[in-house]
Amino acid sequence: MDKNTHIINYTHRQAGHCESGATSNLFSFSGLEISEQMTFGVGNGLFFSYLPFLKLQFAPMITFRNFPNMVFKKGTENLGVNATVRKNIKNPKDAMDALDRNIMNGIPTGMQVGVFKLTFFPPEYRMHYNMHNLVVFGKEGNYYHVSDTVMETPQVISYDDLVQVRYAKGAFAPKGKMYWINSINPNPDFKTAIRKGIKRTVYDMIKIPFPLVGVKGIRWMARDLKKWPVKFGNDKASFYLGQILRMAEDFGTGGAGYRYIYGSFLKEAGTMLNNDGLLEASDMMGKTANQWREFTYIGARNCKDRSKPEEDYGMLSKMLIEIANNEEKVYKKLDKIIL
Amino acid sequence: MENNQNPGFKNKDFGQSKELFYYYQDGGAFDKKIGFHSEDDAMILQQAWDLFQERIEEARKRMQAGEISPIAYYMEKNLLDPLNLSMVAGISIWRVKRHFKPRIFGCLNEKTLKKYATAFNISIEQLKKAE
Repeated sequence: MDKNTHIINYTHRQAGHCESGATSNLFSFSGLEISEQMTFGVGNGLFFSYLPFLKLQFAPMITFRNFPNMVFKKGTENLGVNATVRKNIKNPKDAMDALDRNIMNGIPTGMQVGVFKLTFFPPEYRMHYNMHNLVVFGKEGNYYHVSDTVMETPQVISYDDLVQVRYAKGAFAPKGKMYWINSINPNPDFKTAIRKGIKRTVYDMIKIPFPLVGVKGIRWMARDLKKWPVKFGNDKASFYLGQILRMAEDFGTGGAGYRYIYGSFLKEAGTMLNNDGLLEASDMMGKTANQWREFTYIGARNCKDRSKPEEDYGMLSKMLIEIANNEEKVYKKLDKIIL
Repeated sequence: MENNQNPGFKNKDFGQSKELFYYYQDGGAFDKKIGFHSEDDAMILQQAWDLFQERIEEARKRMQAGEISPIAYYMEKNLLDPLNLSMVAGISIWRVKRHFKPRIFGCLNEKTLKKYATAFNISIEQLKKAE
């Protein structure tokens, strides 16, 4: 054992969403037992935006989650956790030295990475996506022990590879961003945190006066979806539809664009605070999530067969509008609940 | 739904790892399960990779016919688009697009070639020969 080796006793739990999984694991390590869905809800990770003028892997950018690092930032803010975030570290060596210092002091450190060159990652996901999160919890010579919540077990990565992914370039470049927890209150005021989290999510989904985000974004996308086969031809329309489905279903999202996680959060919050309104809202959210899943399955079959495109796209578009209406009802209900 | 042979994937490396998925049953019970991708999920992912493969093949043919420069081919091979390539290589987008022309590519100096080679993670000789 040289002094370059130190492994922290860190519990790795697999999670549906990379950032809230990493955050909840970090909180649990520091002494606040918290589930993934609770972190996701309090850190208001739920979002929707449809940005047809930005292209991600040759298709319009659609996101079902909030901006990177939002869950950690809001989660720590709402739960009163003292945490440090360092970003825009110019020199990769500084970033790695800071990481080494943290590990030697026994602080597991979360960081934002790009997945294209992440060696242990499942090959089907290795695209240019720079908003992934993982936690480093140990160092052994030239290798780092990494807890990646997409994977079933902790992984190992070499120094050079870690520098590569931490300084991946392109859209939303991580630039060595890292975060860790200094101190935590083991009995935080969950009621206030849940209220703040829900309020912000409701604002994001129905109150932003801009057409491409939230429920209005889903409706806009539904209207565009109908036009794709005529506008771009069948192949491209099918690929664009695939992009919606990929974003909703995959990339460790737990399915249905995080709606399952959010519903599960509402359920936990409702049980914790004995609030029937929240439990009802969680039921509605769960049903909406099942609709999303149905939408993705029908969409996937449509991608495969490519039969009667105009009719199918029209039907999918109608389904999306219905989903948007149902979701709006959930947020309006949440808006009225007084906690 | 949960078996090792996932028919949605054509590529053998795909779909090897188990992931955590959330479920909801009517009646209000949320559930977490660790398992493999469902067939539909796998099909959606596979569709994207098929398309990338098609694009790469087409770019290879066009490069061999002398219509585009190796930079355009390697861009497709690395799943980049011109905007992302300009960010990764640190060269402005209009220059990147200009370098897609074989004639312009022939006049590039070592410094610029080096930038592209680093972005694609290959050597300059490989970039020039384009294999």
